[in-house]
Amino acid sequence: MSDQKSPQHNALLGALRGEERTHLFAQLEAVPLTLGQILCEAGEPFTHAYFPVEGIVSILYVMENAASAEIAVVGNEGMIGVALFMGGQSTLSRSIVQNAGYAYRMSGQHIQQAFNRGGRFQTLLLHFVHALITQMVQTAACNRHHSVDQQLCRWLLMSLDRLPSNQLRMTQKLIGNMLGIESKGVTAAAFVLEKAGLITFDNGHITVVDRAGLEARSCECYNVVKKECDRLIQSAASDGGPGPN
Amino acid sequence: MPDISQTQQNHLFRAMPADVRERVFPQLELVRMPLGHVLYESGSMLRHVYFPTDCIISLLYVMENGASAEIAIVGNEGMVGIALFMGGETTPNRAVVQSAGLAFRLEDSYLKAEFARSGFFQNILLRYTQALLTQMSQTAVCNRHHSIEQQLSRWLLLSLDRLTSNKLNMTQELIANMLGVRREGVTDAAGKLQAQGLIRYSRGRITVLDRPGLEAACCECYVVVKREFDRLLPDTSWNKNRLN
Repeated sequence: MSDQKSPQHNALLGALRGEERTHLFAQLEAVPLTLGQILCEAGEPFTHAYFPVEGIVSILYVMENAASAEIAVVGNEGMIGVALFMGGQSTLSRSIVQNAGYAYRMSGQHIQQAFNRGGRFQTLLLHFVHALITQMVQTAACNRHHSVDQQLCRWLLMSLDRLPSNQLRMTQKLIGNMLGIESKGVTAAAFVLEKAGLITFDNGHITVVDRAGLEARSCECYNVVKKECDRLIQSAASDGGPGPN
Repeated sequence: MPDISQTQQNHLFRAMPADVRERVFPQLELVRMPLGHVLYESGSMLRHVYFPTDCIISLLYVMENGASAEIAIVGNEGMVGIALFMGGETTPNRAVVQSAGLAFRLEDSYLKAEFARSGFFQNILLRYTQALLTQMSQTAVCNRHHSIEQQLSRWLLLSLDRLTSNKLNMTQELIANMLGVRREGVTDAAGKLQAQGLIRYSRGRITVLDRPGLEAACCECYVVVKREFDRLLPDTSWNKNRLN
């Protein structure tokens, strides 16, 4: 992993300055994120917090009958493992790699200590959790009110923002699991978008051909989340919060 | 200084150690929460947080076309206004009183000062936020996977846990707005629950007749959220004085 990007390419880590940054960066370990890798299983304690630099991690809610629904996606704008500093150590959802890449990870103990010191890092993490809540809430509303092809647009756009190219490697079944719908529903929606000239779909590869068209076709949910997430992370990064007192 | 016994009706306050009480309680103000009162509009700046004693607040997501969906409810187990300590100052949700009652409110400056001490107050509010997050994600999944009848059961049980009686004052239209479904869907689901002898429904008043039966009719979502609240907030003795 010699050609990997520095931790700075993660928005939360990249917003750190000075001594806080030096101290925290020393505790990071670069790790690959492989497709389908489970970073933390539902109900099990997080051993590490993960800060993706490349790739996408999906937070999936798994029901008793094993049906699932994605409640959020996290890429280089955020981190996985909020239960480590919010409390509880574990959550009811599974964190699974949806697009391969790599991340920097920090042990549960180190992130707790760093959070409890306060300062910019604490502010950044709290703002990120708030942005994550916004995304989850919007997903709940979107699940209720919007058509599958709108939801697919939202999901493609959110994924695209977290990837370096306009191509996604994804089967209909996997997308179905993420959106919590049957794969034939995904196929039908993907066909609608392909016919409208927005994507091409071939053997598990989705290529976005017309991003602007996809945005126009998506429900408001994509924009609302993006705007709120940008606002929260930027405000934490610029003012640095209450300071390390 | 507010009446101490009244503050104890809120489960977060009940868990607060003496030093936190001494600093925070004198700043509390008891306010009436009438049915339908909007505490925050989506996007507005928050000035206070609210700790309900016997009212229920519904957190609603409002879409651009005015359609809504409830994402969580908050009663005496929690508080409303997490954006003030999580950051961002505003929230994309609307907070509206779903069942009338009282709440203590605390001004943002006092809240932030106590939160910044990084002590028990911060710790319990973060744990509460994590539990709230669980409720929200379970709602997202429930919206996707479960029948309106199951969702209505979940919603009735969540409400009941936050009330002192087994009666709810609620029109079908209000419930429909909360669940984000059509009114006919609610009428239909309520009719089914009534036919099974679980609830009685008349003129905007729902009485729960058979709580264990309602729990059995419900999807897993009610119990899962309740268990997670108990796990995250064992010190608030939430649920210990509930009905049944």
